[in-house]
Amino acid sequence: MISDYADALAEKLAFDRRLARRVRQEVEDHLRDAVAADPAGDTPQAAQRAIAAFGDPQDVARQFAADALAHQSRGAAAAVILVIGGIFVAMKARLGWYALTHWTVSDETRALSGVVGMLDRYAFWLALVLGTAGWVYIIACATPARFHAGCRRESSRIFRLCAAATAMLVAAVVADGVLTALRLGDTAVSASFLVPLLSMTAEIAGAGVVLCRLLGMTRRMAAAAALLEI
Amino acid sequence: MLKGHLDMIVLAALAAGPAHGYAVIEEIKRKSRDAFDLPEGTIYPALHRLEGAGLLASRWVTAESGRRRRVYQLTRRGERALAERRAVWQRFSDAIGGLLDGTRSWKKPA
Repeated sequence: MISDYADALAEKLAFDRRLARRVRQEVEDHLRDAVAADPAGDTPQAAQRAIAAFGDPQDVARQFAADALAHQSRGAAAAVILVIGGIFVAMKARLGWYALTHWTVSDETRALSGVVGMLDRYAFWLALVLGTAGWVYIIACATPARFHAGCRRESSRIFRLCAAATAMLVAAVVADGVLTALRLGDTAVSASFLVPLLSMTAEIAGAGVVLCRLLGMTRRMAAAAALLEI
Repeated sequence: MLKGHLDMIVLAALAAGPAHGYAVIEEIKRKSRDAFDLPEGTIYPALHRLEGAGLLASRWVTAESGRRRRVYQLTRRGERALAERRAVWQRFSDAIGGLLDGTRSWKKPA
């Protein structure tokens, strides 16, 4: 009976598997202590009393979900801001390298580079504005005691802001990739390619990290939303 | 009654030293003389939340029974937070106590 209850609670915590494993063990230990302390001893009635005193697993899971989703949202927004900062540094490093090595754009690609560069700047600054807005929104929202419909709406808003920032970030990285390809395409392969290639790899990796975070957030939000049913 | 005070209650229950979830609940019951009708499962989200906030630290230990259990203890930040909340609560309690002591029973006019 105790194991079944612990399993049921762990199942409801599917939005965070590591948390579910830990809580399952803690709860089972708690219930076995409660049964051991019951004057009736290790009986089904004692187990029933221990489970009743512990509370509805759905309600316990909702309390965990509120905090877990808030934590996940903060992590996603922080990742967006950090990666924006990292991409800015990578872009500046690349431009600094071009200046240092007098690596100029050829006349044939200058016009295209100008257009892509403009798109790159707009996408980057838009990503920064949206990412900051997401972060500010998270700070302004208090973490509720239980996951409820309003909490779900707030998480969705934060997700949309982070997703929009990430979309702009990916656009900026793609534009950076095009700009880098245009420069590299005009020159013979040499060791000086290393800085642009490494900085582009860092940008792509950063965008990948943010995308993974957002995917994780989507999965957790969907699993937590199931707690609002019934 | 407990809404908004659960974190302080959990921190206070751990002031005596490290304890696992069940012992925390027993300590709350003992210190409050069973004043709170608290679903026991409520304690665990609070313990996790306080740990996430850096007010508690936890580790697995193996009990004599061979079961693994998670033991929680106050961090320095947790001790400071408890001291602050105690002071705030004391001021609030003194103020309400003063108000209630000076309250006369209200009589309906004839």
